Amino acid sequence: MQTLTQILSPGRTICRAPGGSKKRLFETIARIISEDQLSLPYAEVFTQLIAREKLGSTGLGQGIAIPHCRIPNCSQPLGTLLSVDEPVDFDAPDNQPVDLLFVLLVPQEAHQEHLDILSHVAGLFSQTEFCQALRAAGDNQALYDIATGWKS
Amino acid sequence: MIDASYQLILLCAFLGLVSIAITGLSQRLGAPSLLLFLLVGMLAGEDGPGGIHFDDVGTAFLVGNIALAIILLDGGMRTHVSSFRVGLKPALSLATLGVAITSGIVGLVAAWILDWPLLNGLLLGAIVGSTDAAAVFGLLHGAGLELKQRSGATLEIESGTNDPMAIFLTVSLLGLLGSTSSGNIGVALLLEFLQQMGFGGIAGLAGGWLLQKLLNWLHLPRVLYPLLAVSFGLCVFGLTNLAGGSGFLAIYLIGLLLGNRPVNYLRDIRWLLDGLAWLSQIGMFLLLGLLVTPSSLLDVALPALVIAAALMLVARPVAVFTCLLPFRLPLKEQVFISWVGLKGAVPIILALFPYLSGMEHSATYFQVTFFVVLLSLCFQGWTIAPLARRLQLDVPPLVEDREHLGVVIPGQVDRELLAYRIHAGSPADAYVLGRLPLPDSVKTVGVLRTDQVLQPRDDLRLAPEDILVLLTPSHESDQLAGLFATLPTRSHLVSSAFFGPFTLQPDVLFDDLCAAYGVAPDPDLEGLDLDAVLRRRVHAQPVVGDRLRVGNIELVVKQMAQGRILQVGLKLC
Repeated sequence: MQTLTQILSPGRTICRAPGGSKKRLFETIARIISEDQLSLPYAEVFTQLIAREKLGSTGLGQGIAIPHCRIPNCSQPLGTLLSVDEPVDFDAPDNQPVDLLFVLLVPQEAHQEHLDILSHVAGLFSQTEFCQALRAAGDNQALYDIATGWKS
Repeated sequence: MIDASYQLILLCAFLGLVSIAITGLSQRLGAPSLLLFLLVGMLAGEDGPGGIHFDDVGTAFLVGNIALAIILLDGGMRTHVSSFRVGLKPALSLATLGVAITSGIVGLVAAWILDWPLLNGLLLGAIVGSTDAAAVFGLLHGAGLELKQRSGATLEIESGTNDPMAIFLTVSLLGLLGSTSSGNIGVALLLEFLQQMGFGGIAGLAGGWLLQKLLNWLHLPRVLYPLLAVSFGLCVFGLTNLAGGSGFLAIYLIGLLLGNRPVNYLRDIRWLLDGLAWLSQIGMFLLLGLLVTPSSLLDVALPALVIAAALMLVARPVAVFTCLLPFRLPLKEQVFISWVGLKGAVPIILALFPYLSGMEHSATYFQVTFFVVLLSLCFQGWTIAPLARRLQLDVPPLVEDREHLGVVIPGQVDRELLAYRIHAGSPADAYVLGRLPLPDSVKTVGVLRTDQVLQPRDDLRLAPEDILVLLTPSHESDQLAGLFATLPTRSHLVSSAFFGPFTLQPDVLFDDLCAAYGVAPDPDLEGLDLDAVLRRRVHAQPVVGDRLRVGNIELVVKQMAQGRILQVGLKLC
């Protein structure tokens, strides 16, 4: 099982990103990822994430969301972690606005491993203590350290 | 004489206390509490340390009948008409044809092993033919289990409605045994059946309608409404039985109408009936435990074992699989329903009929029946909860609705005022009032904060320890519970593991879902949405908890309303 250390990088960990709307949030996410990974164009990331969102909100409830999709030209699973300054309406099943997101992009080729990572991340973010700690982080580095150093 | 009365009161109350104390033990042991009440009765009886001699069949019969009537009234009130969608037809099939098949097979075996004439064997079969709902649901709730609606509703409605059938068969067979005429038995039985169910049905529906009108018209002190409901129900019960109808069916229907129509002080009535149903269970089982002479059971041990085995392993499964044939229930659910033919008090009460009509072998009927019920409670009762888990028929229990205060508005039977305390960490905590996800039919009346009353403005932010007062339609409060319970509750965690982390829309195309997760779709499901796929692959009438594995993802029906799927959970395997 890969841990967050292997799929997250400090460049893709943003504390208190501007919220606004769900669409604005996905634009922000696509920009962060495309600037960090030159092989992944902004439009592609944005379109694929929105396409997955059309199947049903990736909000888990209690302010957490895990947007995810498969994407061409992606060689290994990529995680992106954001906390949001003002909670955003996300059509989550419990109707609560979202303020903590973990975005997961996986290669186009289907692998059991990718589902396992997604499942692992979902399990991690269903722990209240973990989410509280992330929400309390003051800057990008602190957010990254908490996320990668967490022992569940 | 005076002393004797006080002794009797002391004795009854003491046995009651012991029984109440023992219910806690029942949950810990996973044993049916009914079994424990029976045991307490037996211990208090002639062969146990209590040494009480009790063999008054007449009193036991009277108490048993009153208790059964109360339990059925309560059972009717607990049955939600919404569960009829998936449960009514299979349940009615089980409650009529199923009882007949079960009784027939058991009757044949009994006639053979006891070397009795066929009719006497069939009488014994009819006596042990019905199942007991209270026993089943008590056990499941005790184990913290909620059954999937299809099995749950089927069992619930079956056990509510099959007692009249078993009673009818018993009484009719007794009549046949007593009469010397050799007319056509089949025709006589059918006519008797139509009369019993017809009278019972009409009396129940008319009585329920009239009682509802009375409860809503009359102005009485509040405490009298529940008593009115109970006495009225018992009146109809007695009247119907005297008129040759099935009073048991009538009183069940009264409960059903009452529980599903707008009625003044419904909550009060439920509370009283809940308590009375418990009292009835305890009293009836204690008395039946006292009545039996445990040492005499040994005489019939061998034939009773054979009959019990035939009942549990052959008769009930054959009846269930035959009756459910047209309804295409999933195999696992049929297996479960077959095993959950739990026997309760009804057979023991019915076994008193032969005594009362002074038949030969009357002691044997009673002893065999008692033994069969004991075995059923032990074997089936103890294994229900693990079996439900093993067959994956359980769904996460609904969030418990705690600490809301309901106020009925006199004259407004379909609306009530509810007050919810806002707990720190509950979903409702820290919402602005305007964003609180309430159903449209629910209106906010105001917010109480310490000793102030705050106007319900949209931008008012709720804080812990506020009390939110809502005006709601009477049936809406179940859905509100989740919003005000402290999170994460155990049931919330269970529910996330059960339904999977993600939630999908039912109108999403199956192909799109497969594409998103790299799963190869079945060609024959092309172009269908998730709702249609689930209906085609799992069951035409889905229920919460139905699941479908596709490649390494799994779809789980998560939320339903009025027969439509609202949310589908996505589980990653």
